[in-house]
Amino acid sequence: MIDSRQTPDPADEALIEHFRQHTRGEPPASLDAFILATAQREAPAPRPGLWKRWWLACQRPRWQMAFATVAGVALMIGLVLRSPVPQQELAAPASLDESASQAPVVAAAPAKPAPAPMARIAPQAEMALAPAPASPVQSLADEPKARMSKSAAVALPSLEQGLQEILRLRQAGDTKAADEKLLALHKRFPKEDLPARLEALQKR
Amino acid sequence: MPTPIDSVSDESLLTRYRNGDGASFEILYARHRQGLYRFLVSLSNKAELAEEVFQDTWLSLIRSATQPQGRASFRTWLFQIARNRLIDHWRKHGVHNPLHDSYDEQLHVQPDDTASPERQLSLSRDQARLEAALQALPEDQREVFLLRLHGDLELPQIAALTGVPLETVKSRLRYAQQKLQRLLAEEVPA
Repeated sequence: MIDSRQTPDPADEALIEHFRQHTRGEPPASLDAFILATAQREAPAPRPGLWKRWWLACQRPRWQMAFATVAGVALMIGLVLRSPVPQQELAAPASLDESASQAPVVAAAPAKPAPAPMARIAPQAEMALAPAPASPVQSLADEPKARMSKSAAVALPSLEQGLQEILRLRQAGDTKAADEKLLALHKRFPKEDLPARLEALQKR
Repeated sequence: MPTPIDSVSDESLLTRYRNGDGASFEILYARHRQGLYRFLVSLSNKAELAEEVFQDTWLSLIRSATQPQGRASFRTWLFQIARNRLIDHWRKHGVHNPLHDSYDEQLHVQPDDTASPERQLSLSRDQARLEAALQALPEDQREVFLLRLHGDLELPQIAALTGVPLETVKSRLRYAQQKLQRLLAEEVPA
């Protein structure tokens, strides 16, 4: 008959305990020594720590190349993202803002339809647009302008395009707008001889 | 007071050994060497063969990268390796595997008149008689009894290890214990 009890019978446990107490037999000492010596000899090498493994990986040429490539790419991206915007591109948006505020000044100039010589307009414009002596407040106020994105500066017309636009305005008789454009262009390209270039362009 | 290493499980010790801690194996070996050796000696009834399988089992464990699978304990896993090695040895040498005999427990049931405490106390303590009584058991009953005795395995673990239903394991153990009680008590004077 099959006994389906889950809990062991105390009498059965006593029998097992009786056997445990009175059973002899040990593996020979030589067998113990052989097995333990084999276990020690063939024990896997301890795994190095995380930093040690990283350092070992760095010493392999394959990983050296990989790390160098990643570092190089990261450096290039960092340089591209953090490179300062050229001064010319920074000046243009500022002059655009200022040209609007300076419009009354220019409007106050003689309303002569003939184009005024650049030699006379430029000093006025320079005086009007010349930055005040640098003060901490002013430099702080200028900071947002300096942060303008490069994409905004790229959208501005080139020198050649600006000159052509001035010629077109003059030909159309809109000298006031032409003078404003010229002032703005002079602000952007202070080292350029704009009247001479205008003259050359007109001759062409 | 037990030191921390004594409370570390067998599975953790094996993992430590796999990670290069040689001392963990010594603890693991000390815990199980005696039980495994006695199990093999009693099951095979040959000391030389038991030593060979014992050595083979431990070397297999040393050189293997595997761990006990699923919910199996290290102890079950170790005794299963040893059992498989012994069966392999029997096959290799053309010995009929007695553990695979189909055995009808009902045919071997004999009246059990040894359940009284008085009779239990008079069990023989003679080493030779204990061993002879074990060898008198049918092989599959002896295996279950030895796994319980030396492996200290629970019945479900024995069922999983031997691949037989739990109820069969229970009945084998029951019949083995009844027969051992009878054999060891028979000739003791009242």
